[in-house]
Amino acid sequence: MDTPAVTGRYFDGKTSRLHRVTLTVADGMAHLAGDVERSAPLASLRVSERARHAARKVSFDDGAWLEVDDRAAFAQLLATTGHRDTGVVRAQQSWRGVLLALGVTVGVVVASYVYVLPAAAVWVANALPVKVERQMGQGVLEILDKRALGPSKLPAARQEQLRRQFAALVAPEPDAPTWKLVFRSSRIGPNALALPSGDIVMTDELVNLLKDDQAVMGVLAHELGHLHRRHLTRRLVQSSAVAAATWVIFGDISAMLTALPTVALDMKYSRDAEYEADDYAVAMLRRNGIAPEHMAQAFVKLGEASGDRMSTYLSSHPATGERIARIRAAR
Amino acid sequence: MVDFNKPADLFAPAPAAATPPQYLKFHASGSEYFRIWIVNLLLSIVTLGIYSAWAKVRRNQYFYSSTELAGSSFEYHGNPIAILKGRIVAAVVVGAYAFAGKVSPLLAVVMFVVMAAVIPWFIWRSLQFQLHNSAWRGIRFRFDGQLRDAYINCLLRPLLNIVTFGLATPYIYQRLKAWQFNESRFGQARFATRASVGSFYKLFGAFLLLGIVGMVVFGILFAFQAASHFAGRTPAEMAAEGISPSMFIGVALSYILILSMAPLLIALIQNLVWNNASLDRHEFRSEVRTGRMLFIIVTNILGVICTLGLFLPFAQVRMMRYRIESLMMIPEGSLDEFVATASADVNAAGEGVSDFMDFDFSL
Repeated sequence: MDTPAVTGRYFDGKTSRLHRVTLTVADGMAHLAGDVERSAPLASLRVSERARHAARKVSFDDGAWLEVDDRAAFAQLLATTGHRDTGVVRAQQSWRGVLLALGVTVGVVVASYVYVLPAAAVWVANALPVKVERQMGQGVLEILDKRALGPSKLPAARQEQLRRQFAALVAPEPDAPTWKLVFRSSRIGPNALALPSGDIVMTDELVNLLKDDQAVMGVLAHELGHLHRRHLTRRLVQSSAVAAATWVIFGDISAMLTALPTVALDMKYSRDAEYEADDYAVAMLRRNGIAPEHMAQAFVKLGEASGDRMSTYLSSHPATGERIARIRAAR
Repeated sequence: MVDFNKPADLFAPAPAAATPPQYLKFHASGSEYFRIWIVNLLLSIVTLGIYSAWAKVRRNQYFYSSTELAGSSFEYHGNPIAILKGRIVAAVVVGAYAFAGKVSPLLAVVMFVVMAAVIPWFIWRSLQFQLHNSAWRGIRFRFDGQLRDAYINCLLRPLLNIVTFGLATPYIYQRLKAWQFNESRFGQARFATRASVGSFYKLFGAFLLLGIVGMVVFGILFAFQAASHFAGRTPAEMAAEGISPSMFIGVALSYILILSMAPLLIALIQNLVWNNASLDRHEFRSEVRTGRMLFIIVTNILGVICTLGLFLPFAQVRMMRYRIESLMMIPEGSLDEFVATASADVNAAGEGVSDFMDFDFSL
């Protein structure tokens, strides 16, 4: 059975010469006639995917190809030979398939961001021994000492007093990790931080600003919360996953563009970790009979000191006012 | 940066003796590419990135088949399995590099040195892969550059910038583009470009000057705004007030303009290189206009931001269309006489890494 002839241009893969030909199919063989004559079994040919705007080609196994001119006749020919588009092509060419893909994509991305990734990060952090995390943190304090911190000017007795006071508190959950409280003066203002090595750094500036040991305990409890809840490992997992995902989504377009959403998306996880550490601190203070209001006062003072006005959405830390309200509401 | 993905093969010829000048045509449409993009994106996500190699092949096949010169379209021959292998290699290398930085500063330095040592090799492989898998009228392109020159162009010469504080950038870039071009082949025909170092210095210099003037003007405007906005307030009140909407818009706009500079520069380099380019006896013209290009780039960025990324495929097609359709070939004689050379397949290890790092060697 002969099919209608399809006009096209044939290139033999050896020179760029254009050959005008017609294509017909009979008994499982494709035949070219015109400027060149050629026959080949259908099974040895590859038909390029259907797209409304792209040229359609039939490739031979030796690198020659036919570029189809009469696309309507070619579609007919494909139908009579039983050629079927792949599922992907059919989805790409149907608006229903596209809308479904769009919906599912958005759903998968949002669900992963909000639920799957945080849960996976907790799982990874718990599976990873604390020892490994501590190993990763080696050297961080030394770098900070060089760049942002200086030796503490607090008297040794005062340091020891705070250290004892905090050691006497009971953690709100069992199996609290070991910690080491170190004091430093700060070139970056009043601050406290927990390092993966298990060091909790308290700055002189913060102790002096708070003027209230119970508030200092609240801040230390917050930092212990970061350690206990394995925030450092979880954040590492989350930020790597966000970077990898944005690359899969936007990397085809531009790797440079992916830096922006990566940073912005990671902020939410950072703020979530701060809230979680705040909750932990409130629970710890309560457990030891200290009013959480001490900690709320600590944020009030910190807020006054820094003139904190950053927008919540673009900040790694929640707005101070929100944190205070949250601590007070936790009563 | 909405980068015009590697139609690395915009090089090409047109028909018969005394052929009139041939503009390249780009038939892809944003809405059709959106459909291809979203389906492939979903498959890439649910396969945890594995399908992205097939997605890349589909995308390139669509773009190449939609690009027409002298009545014939281009073809992309990349093998998804090869690309997948390349991407796995790249993911391991880039992942190790990122991880090293978080584990120990010393390891980070070691990894940095390792990366610097292997990147030229990857770039070299990537150029080979891209050109080898591009074809027009049944004839493949090819990259003939030597590995030694890859190290000179991508590692040794860039070191010049350490002692010249970046002043050697136009020279380094010109040498890189000239190498890339002069070692490209279409079948047995050779590409060449006569774009001079001086012309690169002029273009980069103009950008630098524009950047400085822009920053000064913006700085003054912002200072005036801030002065009137915060007039007579204490620092605490200023903090409470925050910045005004007009100041926010100003900052956002200048940020978008800064983002636009790199793609604009790359598009204008296209003019420098292609206006001086030849393929055997055939010549080329490139007529990218600065204002039009900047308009496309800025509106693309705005579109992408406002649609949370859904405009990306449209943006990409707009960008590619303008850059490709700005190109013209001026044939000298027939375009029927290009002859193929036999060449073995190239592996895609370098291709994977350049995907990760956004090397743009197209056009």
